[in-house]
Amino acid sequence: MNPPSLAPLSEDAPWIVMKFGGTSVATLPRWQNILELVASRRAEGARVVVVVSALSGITDALKQLCRHGDRGLRVESAKLIVQRHYELLEHMQLSLPDTLSDRLGDLARLADEGATTLGELAWQAQVQAHGELMSSALGAAFLSHSGLPTHWLDARECLAAVALPNQNERTRLLSAMVEARPDPALGARLAALGDVFITQGFIARESRGRTVLLGRGGSDTSAAYFGALLKAQRVEIWTDVAGMFTANPHQVPGARLLQRLDYEEAQEIASTGAKVLHPRCLSPLREPRVPLLIKDTNRPELDGTVIGPEIRAHAPSVKAISARKGITLVSMESVGMWQQVGFLADVFTHFKQHGLSVDLIGSAETNVTVSLDPTENLLDSDAIAALATDLAKVCRVKVIAPCAAITLVGRGMRSLLHTLSGVLAEFGQLRVHMISQSSNNLNLTFVVDEEVVDALLPHLHDLLIAAGALRTDDSALFGPSWQTLYGTGEAPGAVAAWWREVEERQRLLELAAETTPRYVYHLPTVRQQARALKSLAAVDRLHYAVKANTHPAILRVLAAEGFAFECVSPGELEAVSAIVPEATPLLFTPNFAPREDYVYALGTRATITLDALHPLQHWGELFRGRDIVLRMDLGRGLGHHEKVRTGGSGSKFGLPLDQLAAFLQLADAHGATVRGLHAHLGSGVLDASHWGEVYVQLASLAERIGSVAFLNIGGGLGVPSHPGEAPLDMVELDRVLREVKAAYPQYQLWMEPGRYLVADAGVLLACATQQKDKGAFRYLGVDTGMNSLIRPALYDAWHEIVNLSRLDEPSTALYQVVGPICESGDVLGTDRRLPEAQEGDVMLIAQTGAYGKVMSSHYNLRDEADEIVIE
Amino acid sequence: MTTIIQPRLTQLFRFVRCSYADGVAELAYAFDDGEELVERVRFPNAPAVPAGHVAAFDAALKLLHLIAGVSYYKAGVPPKIEVASGPLDDATAELLDQLYLHGLAEFAYRNGLDLRGRIAFPRGGVAPTVGTLNLPKRTLVPIGGGKDSLVAVEAIKAIGGEATAVWVGNSALIAACAERTGLPTLNIQRELAPALFELNRLGAWNGHIPVTAVNSVILAVAAVLYGYDSIAFANERSASAATLEYDGQQVNHQWSKGYAFEQLLGNWLATHVASDLDYFSLLRPYSELAITRAFSKLTPYFDVFSSCNRNFKLLGPKPADRWCGQCPKCHFVFLALAPFLPKPRLLSIFGRNLLDDETQAAGFDALLEYQDHKPFECVGEGAEARAAMHALSQRPEWQEDALVARFRSEILPQLDASLLALEPWLEPSSEQRVPARLQPALKTIG
Repeated sequence: MNPPSLAPLSEDAPWIVMKFGGTSVATLPRWQNILELVASRRAEGARVVVVVSALSGITDALKQLCRHGDRGLRVESAKLIVQRHYELLEHMQLSLPDTLSDRLGDLARLADEGATTLGELAWQAQVQAHGELMSSALGAAFLSHSGLPTHWLDARECLAAVALPNQNERTRLLSAMVEARPDPALGARLAALGDVFITQGFIARESRGRTVLLGRGGSDTSAAYFGALLKAQRVEIWTDVAGMFTANPHQVPGARLLQRLDYEEAQEIASTGAKVLHPRCLSPLREPRVPLLIKDTNRPELDGTVIGPEIRAHAPSVKAISARKGITLVSMESVGMWQQVGFLADVFTHFKQHGLSVDLIGSAETNVTVSLDPTENLLDSDAIAALATDLAKVCRVKVIAPCAAITLVGRGMRSLLHTLSGVLAEFGQLRVHMISQSSNNLNLTFVVDEEVVDALLPHLHDLLIAAGALRTDDSALFGPSWQTLYGTGEAPGAVAAWWREVEERQRLLELAAETTPRYVYHLPTVRQQARALKSLAAVDRLHYAVKANTHPAILRVLAAEGFAFECVSPGELEAVSAIVPEATPLLFTPNFAPREDYVYALGTRATITLDALHPLQHWGELFRGRDIVLRMDLGRGLGHHEKVRTGGSGSKFGLPLDQLAAFLQLADAHGATVRGLHAHLGSGVLDASHWGEVYVQLASLAERIGSVAFLNIGGGLGVPSHPGEAPLDMVELDRVLREVKAAYPQYQLWMEPGRYLVADAGVLLACATQQKDKGAFRYLGVDTGMNSLIRPALYDAWHEIVNLSRLDEPSTALYQVVGPICESGDVLGTDRRLPEAQEGDVMLIAQTGAYGKVMSSHYNLRDEADEIVIE
Repeated sequence: MTTIIQPRLTQLFRFVRCSYADGVAELAYAFDDGEELVERVRFPNAPAVPAGHVAAFDAALKLLHLIAGVSYYKAGVPPKIEVASGPLDDATAELLDQLYLHGLAEFAYRNGLDLRGRIAFPRGGVAPTVGTLNLPKRTLVPIGGGKDSLVAVEAIKAIGGEATAVWVGNSALIAACAERTGLPTLNIQRELAPALFELNRLGAWNGHIPVTAVNSVILAVAAVLYGYDSIAFANERSASAATLEYDGQQVNHQWSKGYAFEQLLGNWLATHVASDLDYFSLLRPYSELAITRAFSKLTPYFDVFSSCNRNFKLLGPKPADRWCGQCPKCHFVFLALAPFLPKPRLLSIFGRNLLDDETQAAGFDALLEYQDHKPFECVGEGAEARAAMHALSQRPEWQEDALVARFRSEILPQLDASLLALEPWLEPSSEQRVPARLQPALKTIG
C-alpha cells in the first residue's frame, strides 16, 4: 500500500509514540497492520515514533545463546536467529538493508567472541539488545519501502540510563532505569529529520557508553520514556487485548473492559495482577501528563483503555479485583520488642541478607507480618529456611503459605467500605491472614489461603457488581465484558427473556390492569427449562424440588414432562399427590422433620431420605425392611449466599462423614437398606464441574456400601440474574456427568433441580405508587414488597426490575425501588437505572417464578399477590 | 441374570476358562451354578504371540486367570475352589494360597472374616520345565502417577536403559505422568465383569484386593507378548511391613507390594514362564524417605504427579485437583517430602499446608502411630513418619505450624530421641532382587 502524499508537518506538530510487541512484529501481515496504523497517525497530523520489541521468541533465543559456553554452539544459535530475520525479509520481498546487515554481522561477531572482551554482563546486554536492533532495522526497511519514509533511530542515543543507589553490576546492566523528562531539543532535532521514526524497546545506554537493558516490561517502558521525552500527545501500547479489565479474564470471563483509568489506579491494577501493562511504564508519563492508550492490534476498532491524569467527577467505584498467587507470609511474634529502636531494622536486614524482598506489611503490638512474592530464590533455595533460622533468634517465626493476595483497586476505597458488606461477609468464611489498606486510598488487600482463590474470584466479582461497589452501569468507565469481546460472544442463554417480546408485554400490561401485585407464570418457559434438563443424557431420574413453586399448573406441566417430585414436608407430599399421576415417583427429603412426618411419608410411595442418626437411633423400627436414602454432608458448602449453602458444619443439613459408619451400623441393625446416597451443597451454582465432583465423592462413599443403587447429586443449578452473566453451561454439565458416570457406571444418577425449572418462567407485576427524593437518593414505591418477594431482603438477591409501561424509554433516573412494608429492608432493588416513572406505571420484577409466592407472607396484613399462569 | 444368587451363601468358586485372541484375554469365573463372570484384559496393538513363546504365554495367561480371580472370589468367599483345567502344581497352588490369604487379609479383617484354612487351591499337577526365551533387553515400568514409579523411571533413564512406561486402566493422571517421562507408553485396559456390580448389589462381600498382584501378572503376560526381559516395579522397603496384627494374623494393606510376594512371583515366573524374565522392585532396598529424597530432585514432575488416591478430579493444573489433602497418602507424601524441599516449593505442590491445619491432627497421628494404628494405605512406616516430623520440628520455618508445634509439645516428649534421626532411613538395605543389568540404576537412587 502506498499512502497518499501528505502535507508537510510543522516543526511543532504533536508526537505520538506507538509500541508493538513481539508477536506484532513477527510476520508480514502484522507488519502490514503496523504500516496502516502508523500511516493513519501520520495522516492525523502527528509525528510518530514506533517502538518495537524483538521478533517473538528471539529474546529467549538470545538468552539461550548467552548460556552456551561453547563457541560452536553460540555461532550455531546466532545463525538460526539471523535466519529468522532473513525469512521475514524474504516474505516482505525486500533486499537486505545495510542497517540490518550491520546488526546481523555484529551479532555473529559477538557470538563468536564470547564474553571475554566485554565482560559477562555487558556482553549479555549487548547480545540481547540485538533482538530489538534487528527488528527495528527490518521494520524501517519495510515501512520505508511501503511508501512511509521511516527513519531508524538508535534508542541508545536518546535514552540515558541513570546510576541509582542499591544497584549492582547486574541490575545496572540488565534492569536499568532512565530518567525521562521532556526534552524539547530532542523533539526539534528529530522533527528536522522527518516525520516517522522506528526505534527499539528494551535498550538504553549508560554513562560509560555501554548498552544496557531495561528489564521486564522493557519495551512498554521504552515507549513511556519516549512519550515523556517528546511530551507526546499520547503513547499507544498495541497488544493482543483491548486493554485492562476489571479482573483477569481467564479467571473471570465476565470481567469488563476498563475504558478510563487514572495513572495511579492503572499502576495499582498492573502491580497487583494485570499482565497487559508493566507497572513501571506509567510513572514516566505521570509528571508530563502524557496519556497512555492500550489498543488491540487485531481489533483496532475497540476503544481500549485510556490511562491519563484526568479525573472527571464519578461516583467512587471499585475498578478491578485481582489476585496474586504463590505468596508466602512471614509472621513474627515478639512481646514488646517492636518499639525498641533499631529492632525492626535488624529484622529487615535479615530479609535483605537472604535476598528476599518484602511486599505487604501488617503490624500489631506484638506481631509483624510481611508478605514475600514467589521468586525462584524463595521456591528453590534454602532462603526461607535460613531466614527463619536467623529470625528465630529474636522472635517467634511462622511461615504461612501458599497464600494469595486479593486486591480491590479503586480511587477512594475507604468511601466504598459501606457497600462492601456482602463482599466482606464472603471473607468472613475464610482464613484471612492479613488485610492491608494503603494511605493512598487506592486499594484494599486481603491475604487468604491460595486454594480458595480460583473459585472465589469470579464470585467476588459478581458480588461487587451486585453490591453496587463495581458500578458497571456507568458506561463511561466500564466497557463490554471480555466474554462479549473475545469469548464465544454473549453467552448462549442470554437470549432475551420471554416477557420482552412485544406481544407478551402487551398481555402482561393487560393482566396488570386487572390486578396487582400479581405473579405471572409462563408455562412454555417451564417446559423449555425441563427439556434443557432432559438433555442431560447421564441423568437417570429428574425430580422437581417442589418447594420452589407448588402452583398446580406447574406441577402438571412437569409431571407431563416426565419429572419425578421431591418434597420436604407432608404438606408438599399431599399437594403433589393430589395433582400428579399415581405412578409418578416421589422423594421425601426433609430436614429436622418430626417423627410423625416420617410416619406419614412411610405411608406413601415416597422414597425416604434421612440425614441424621436420630431417626434410626430412636425410631429405627419405623424403617425396618425399607429402602432408605442417606443425605451426606460432604464437608463444604457452595452457593450465592450464606443462607443458601447447605453443606459444611455451619449448615444443619446432611450427615457428617465421620458418622457414616455409625449410620450404616444402625441401618443394618434395623434392617433398613441404604439404596441411595444424596448430597446437595447449595443453590445458585454456575460451575458445571461441581456436580461431577459431588457424584464422584458420593460414588467413592457408595463403593464401600454394597447396597447403593443410585446417587442423588441434588440441584442448585444456578440461574444468572445480571445482564451478561454467563448461564450454566448445559453442554459442559452433560459432558461432566457423562464422564463421571462412565467412571462409576454401576450407579443411577438422580438430580432434583427446583429454581432452574421455574425461576425464569415467573414475573411479579407491581404498580408504581409514588416517588420520594431524599438527599442523593430517589425512591420509587411499588404496591408490594418483601411480603411478596423476600429474596432481595433475605439473600441480597438481585432481580432485574423494568418499567413495563415505558420499556423503550431512556433510563435517565437512578431509583431505589421499594415496597410498602414497614421495614427498612423492604427494598426490591437499589440503584436501578430506569425511565422517569409515573404513578400507575406497571413495574415488572423478573425471575420470580421460584421462591417468590411460596415464601410470601401476610406481614403487615397486606394481601398476598395473585397468581396466574399463561401459555 | 437368570438365577438370583446370594453371594455370601455360595459354596463353590469356579475358575471356568481363560482364552486369548486378538489382543484380548477373556477370564471367566462362576459361583456354584451361577452365570459366568467374564473379565476382559485388552492389550493394545498386540503382535501375534511369537511361535516359540506360546507355552510361556499360555502359562502367564493361566496365572493371570488364577490371580485376577481374587476380585470375584472375594464377593462370596465360598469354602471350595475349583479349577476347571485341572489341579495345579504345588508351586502354583502355594503362590495362590499365599496370595489369597495374605492379599485378602485386610478385606477379611474389615469384614470380620477368618480366611485361614478356607483357601485351598487344588494341587497335584505337574510343574513344567522352562528355559530362556531370549527376551529383548528392555524394561516395563508400571507408572502409578505417584512419586515412586517416577523415581524408578528416572533411575533407568539415568543409566540409558531402554524402558516403556506402562499402566493398567484409565487414568488421566497416570497418562499425564507417563507422557512427562518421555518414554514410550503402553496402556493396558482391564474390564471387570459387569455381573460383579450386580453381585455387589445383592450383598456381596466387599473390600480391598491385592491389585498389585493382578497388575503384576498382567505385565508378565505383556512382557512375553511384546518382548521385555524385565518388569521393574517401584515398591519400597516398608511395603513389607504389616499394618496391624489381628487375631494372630499379620494384616498388610500392601502385601502384594511386599518382598514376600515379589519373591514368590519372581521365582514362579522364572520357573514357569521364562528363565530370563525378571520381576522385581527397583526401589526395594530403599525407605520411603530415601525415595522421597530422590524424588525431591525431580522438579519437572511436581505439577503432574499425585500419590493421592482419593483425588476426586484426578487431573488438572491446580494442586487441589490432584491432592485431596485429607487422606493418609496426602499426609504421608507431604510429610516425607517436607525435609527435602524448600517449604514454599512443597506448599506450592500441595496448594495448602497440611501441617498447619488442626483438623488434620488425627490423620497425622495415625501416620506417627500415635494413639492409633497405621492406616490401611500404602504409606511408610510410623518410625519414618516420626523421623520426618522430628526433622521438621527442629526447623524454625516449620516449628510454629499447628501440627508441628503440637508434635513438639505433646508427642516428642513421649518418644525415644535416639530413634528419631533421619539419616539412617536414607541408607539402603541389602534386600533386593534387581538383575545385574539394572544394578547401576539401583545405585543412582540412594
